[in-house]
Amino acid sequence: MKGMRNWVGALRLPLSVAVLALLPLTAWAERSVETAFGEVVVPRSPERVVTLYEGALDVALAAGVTPLGAVTTRGGDGMARYIEAHLGEQRPAIVGVVREINLEAVLALEPDVILAPPQLPEAQYRLLSRMAPTVVPLTEGLDPEAWRAETRLFAQALGREAEIEAALEQVDARAAEVAERIAADEAPSAVLVRWMPQGPMVMSADLFTAGLLRAAGVAVHDAGLTRENSPHSDPLSLENLSRVDADWLFLATLNEEGREALQAAQATPAFARLDVVARDQVVPVDGQLWSSATGPLAALTILDQLDAALTP
Amino acid sequence: MYAARPSGLFQARRLSARLAGLLALLVLVCLASLLWGAGDVGPARAWAAITGQGDAEAQFVVGSLRLPRTLVGLVVGLALGVAGALLQAVTRNPLAEPGLLGVSAGAAFAVAVALVLGATATTMRIGVAQLGAMVGCLCVLGVARVSGAGNDPVRLVLAGAALTGLLLSLTSLLLLFDQRAADEIRFWIVGSLAGRRLEHLLAILPSLLLAGAIVLAVARPLAALSLGERVASGLGHRPGLIRLLVIVAVALLVGAATATAGPLAFVGLVVPFAARALAGPDIRRTLWLCLPLGPLMVITADIVSRLLVAPSELPLGVLTALCGAPVLVAVVRARRMPTL
Repeated sequence: MKGMRNWVGALRLPLSVAVLALLPLTAWAERSVETAFGEVVVPRSPERVVTLYEGALDVALAAGVTPLGAVTTRGGDGMARYIEAHLGEQRPAIVGVVREINLEAVLALEPDVILAPPQLPEAQYRLLSRMAPTVVPLTEGLDPEAWRAETRLFAQALGREAEIEAALEQVDARAAEVAERIAADEAPSAVLVRWMPQGPMVMSADLFTAGLLRAAGVAVHDAGLTRENSPHSDPLSLENLSRVDADWLFLATLNEEGREALQAAQATPAFARLDVVARDQVVPVDGQLWSSATGPLAALTILDQLDAALTP
Repeated sequence: MYAARPSGLFQARRLSARLAGLLALLVLVCLASLLWGAGDVGPARAWAAITGQGDAEAQFVVGSLRLPRTLVGLVVGLALGVAGALLQAVTRNPLAEPGLLGVSAGAAFAVAVALVLGATATTMRIGVAQLGAMVGCLCVLGVARVSGAGNDPVRLVLAGAALTGLLLSLTSLLLLFDQRAADEIRFWIVGSLAGRRLEHLLAILPSLLLAGAIVLAVARPLAALSLGERVASGLGHRPGLIRLLVIVAVALLVGAATATAGPLAFVGLVVPFAARALAGPDIRRTLWLCLPLGPLMVITADIVSRLLVAPSELPLGVLTALCGAPVLVAVVRARRMPTL
């Protein structure tokens, strides 16, 4: 009995040395990230990346990684227009739409890591995580700053933290710059709406874009019309249109014909008599970018458009 | 000598008394439609605006928002009510409702095709929905005729349900391929009167006038047709031609209504049902009563749609479906299936 203990004791030192020596080796090849479905081990520098979320595609491109596969943008058949500007020769294959992922297409790409949207259904997670480590951000409800945590998580999973921290700093610097140019005694108020034939849907003040505009010195509000955690209100009755009257009105459409939507809105008598219309401070914006995108590239594009629209 | 049955004159008087009562009710409902809305302009301010005083805001809301939608509701209700009565008479089927016979699905399919081909919801031409409505209607009647059972209510409804199913799945197929169209049709597929303007009414006026002329021409032969084809032929009418004309009128009416307000389910079922309850089965009398009853139903539903979820509005199509579904169930569950 005593001899046995001695034998184990004699082995303890070399064993622990061996384990300690192996640890850095595995840690060098892999790392773990904290996701909505617990700790997930991902390769340290994945090469075959599939993004199933527009925000993740944005982060990957900002970090200099072109995914092999990605989903389409909302209300479109391909990538969002602002994403197109950052794509080179190599283009991600389309592997479905956010709500309906083509699992076979994902599998065929043999990914090293899959970057998925928050609130991915658990059933889908189980299938996807059998193909490759699947990174799902832990985001609950609407929070204008949640995109930063998502962006950092995706950056970690891609092993590109330094690039993304630089991109985030660039966003903050650009926002501060725009805020300085807008500089007024009081931050101008603004409402972001999607125009519908029977009335506008007011977008929540907790959206990514709203947080970004606030950082750039624009007081975005939702006129008290959206419920908590819902991205937009129901179509507002035209009788109550005066509630969206603000210093600036951003009119988002999913069509390419943003101008056309503006014309349609202006043909509506209730819209034409708003103060903001009389002052000509209605800005048609790309709904793909302003109402459904997130990420550092989206942020920089939105800030550029804001700068162009608001500063003379 | 004392007449046990009411004389024709007495019946005509009773009809005109009911008609007058319904018209008075319609005037009241139209007035209510001007007074109440989803906004801050309450009845008192709205009344001041109607009488020519009142602030600019109230005058705008009443004159430019509530008045146009009331007028559109009036015309749409009229068209759907009359179309329902005509369709029920010509198919001799109390369940024949434009929505059940593939007419609405046809219109929706046509709109989806147009959206995919590049139109936008805001620039949609009404001819598109009208053409779709007519094609859908002809298909169903064609199927029912092939089976040689134009008088079998259940078979007709089955044919309509089958075609509606087919058209709806084709519509969703198209929308699957085109994300933009899917986003736009969402707001078209449930009917509403909000934001409709008088120009929209002017655009459908020609087809409504044409349909009205057809209705005037076929009302008497249609009544004869309800006595049976042989009787109608014996009276010198041509049943095939009458049916075709009625279908054209129905498609014009439903297409025009659907193009302006979107699909409004069950109006064409409930209105003739109520009219028959008040005036009996003769199509010439039923049609008269449908004239005030249709707008009455649509405008009342529209007022409720504004008040339930202010400051937003409920889509009108949801409300008419809620009102209509119980009537459909009641007709089907009646002890014997009524035939016309």
